[in-house]
Amino acid sequence: MMIKNALVMMAGFWSAMLWTVTACAFSVGLVTDVGVIDDKSFNQSVWEGVQAAGLNLKAKTKYIETRDAKDYSSNISLFAKNGYDVIVTVGFGLGEATRNAAAKYPEIKFIGVDQFQVSAMKNIAGLIFHEDQAGFQAGTLAALVTKSNIIASVFATDMIPPIVAFKNGFEKGARYINKDIRIISSYHPGGLDVAFTDPEWGASTARQAILQGADVIFGAGGLTGNGALVETASHKGRYCIGVDADQWLTVHSARPCLVSCALKKITPAVSGLVVMAFENRFPAGNYYGEVGLSSFHEFDKDIPEDIRKKLSVIEKELKEGRIRITE
Amino acid sequence: MNTSAKKIVYYFISGTLILSVFISYFFNAPVTIAVLSSAIRQSTPLVLGAMCGLIGERAGVINIGIEGQMLFGAFTGFIVSIWTGNLFLAVCAGMVSGLLLGLFLGFMAVSLHVDQIIAGTVINIAAVGVCGYFYPTGLSVSNKLQAMSIPFLSDIPLIGPLFFSNSPITMVTILLVFFLQFMLFRSTWGLRTRASGEHPEAAETLGLNVYTIRYSRLMAGGALAGLAGVFLSLEAVGTFERNMVNGRGFIALAVMIFGRWTPIGSWGAALLFALTSALQTQLQFSDTLHIPHQFTGMLPYLMTVFVIAVFMKRNNPPEALGMPFEKD
Repeated sequence: MMIKNALVMMAGFWSAMLWTVTACAFSVGLVTDVGVIDDKSFNQSVWEGVQAAGLNLKAKTKYIETRDAKDYSSNISLFAKNGYDVIVTVGFGLGEATRNAAAKYPEIKFIGVDQFQVSAMKNIAGLIFHEDQAGFQAGTLAALVTKSNIIASVFATDMIPPIVAFKNGFEKGARYINKDIRIISSYHPGGLDVAFTDPEWGASTARQAILQGADVIFGAGGLTGNGALVETASHKGRYCIGVDADQWLTVHSARPCLVSCALKKITPAVSGLVVMAFENRFPAGNYYGEVGLSSFHEFDKDIPEDIRKKLSVIEKELKEGRIRITE
Repeated sequence: MNTSAKKIVYYFISGTLILSVFISYFFNAPVTIAVLSSAIRQSTPLVLGAMCGLIGERAGVINIGIEGQMLFGAFTGFIVSIWTGNLFLAVCAGMVSGLLLGLFLGFMAVSLHVDQIIAGTVINIAAVGVCGYFYPTGLSVSNKLQAMSIPFLSDIPLIGPLFFSNSPITMVTILLVFFLQFMLFRSTWGLRTRASGEHPEAAETLGLNVYTIRYSRLMAGGALAGLAGVFLSLEAVGTFERNMVNGRGFIALAVMIFGRWTPIGSWGAALLFALTSALQTQLQFSDTLHIPHQFTGMLPYLMTVFVIAVFMKRNNPPEALGMPFEKD
């Protein structure tokens, strides 16, 4: 009897789920990498883009947080089997699972954030960014505002190419301004399962760098990077630079030090791609989103005119390809 | 190795460690202090977690749920800090939440005779679920526990900045290590704890109530795990994230075994682990040495394996560990 009841309830639940999906004309699903949806940087920006598009198109939006890298493809197919029109997968790690799913479900459009497409498939758009350019701008800013000539960076992992690009750009940018600047940087020693979710490691690493004289800290990599920002905020007279999103709006406790963020303009790019999918002009292959620095917010008055000028010249030269960042 | 030879090796190694600290302090004071204070900071949640584990295990109950207790403590401390804005209250609340999970573990492991590994796992899974469900996004605490300096003592070179100019929980933890060592081996409380972990039948025959002892020790341990969680959310980071404990509860278990179920041993093990971890960061910082960070990242674990392989021929866990006690 109990089993029968349970079965009836489950059937009801699933049909209700399906009904809500099919009742809407258009539905968008998001699968995160291992991490949380409100990481105050990467996943959150993508989700905001999906929601913005959803509001715009009156589409249904839902997300799944991946707990374990083993679940990538099952999480994607959960959306695919429920007839979603667009599935957004967030992060380099899901690249392979996304391509497999795209081959299996040719009628569904996939948006792979941070997934470089070696060969184009007609139903995947790989949304990628020039992280090295964003990192370069962050590095120049750091080198321009440092007083001790020691700057530090705290990164999540070198297993993710965008993070490596950020690091490379950051170091090249800092040296572009000052050849002899000291840059102390470190990656989280753990694997993908912990590297992005360890704020205490980020914080203690930032502290270790600050005690050695670093006065600008660049934190890049989910919660681990956020930990570095928040720690820097509790040391007077130090600057920190955030990553991916404008973390002024998301990591409140970093505000005392947050001078700027190396932005990947994820939110507008994602919502743009979803709209393009809706309007049947979906760009297959790689799609480059914009990068840049966020505004200086509360430090606006501390940044003198000549630094601003230099930064905007560099931004322009990067865009025009006059500054090339070597690997 | 016989005992005296072993002692000589111990003295030699600790002597070399201390000497190298002084030498590096002489050559580069800021870096030495940065590395050592990072080590002390990173060891704090580990040693608190290890003490949670060892109080329980000395009384005969395995506690796999330290991870969950820490997470729940971190969460409760964070929430109470947001609600009340009072950090002291928040720290207490975090400890009480750990204590309650200890009580829950006691209920499962002692009263219901549930397999202790499963009981601990229940706590870990439940903590992740509960914290994830009730976690309010977009909130942040107004202030976190700040470092404070003890007058005079903090002016001593090297020792001062390391031990006497720290955040409160870090300093309290060091005191707790010695306090618990004393309690466990020099007090009635400790004798009763150990009796119920070594030979509960004998303890019961002598008129002790093994159930009460196990319950109370699990609760005391839970409070320590809660404090470790509060350390993470309110002292170290100043915010709560849903998987912020990140395996520290399990490393604490290893630290406890490494430290042979004693508070001082665990402290040493935690310090060694944290020191190698801080050292590997420092090696990455260096721009002259280019060692792939995957290699340096192995250091803490390699060191642990090495020390255990060389020095720990025999492990002596409490005799009745993991066995539910049934009253006749």
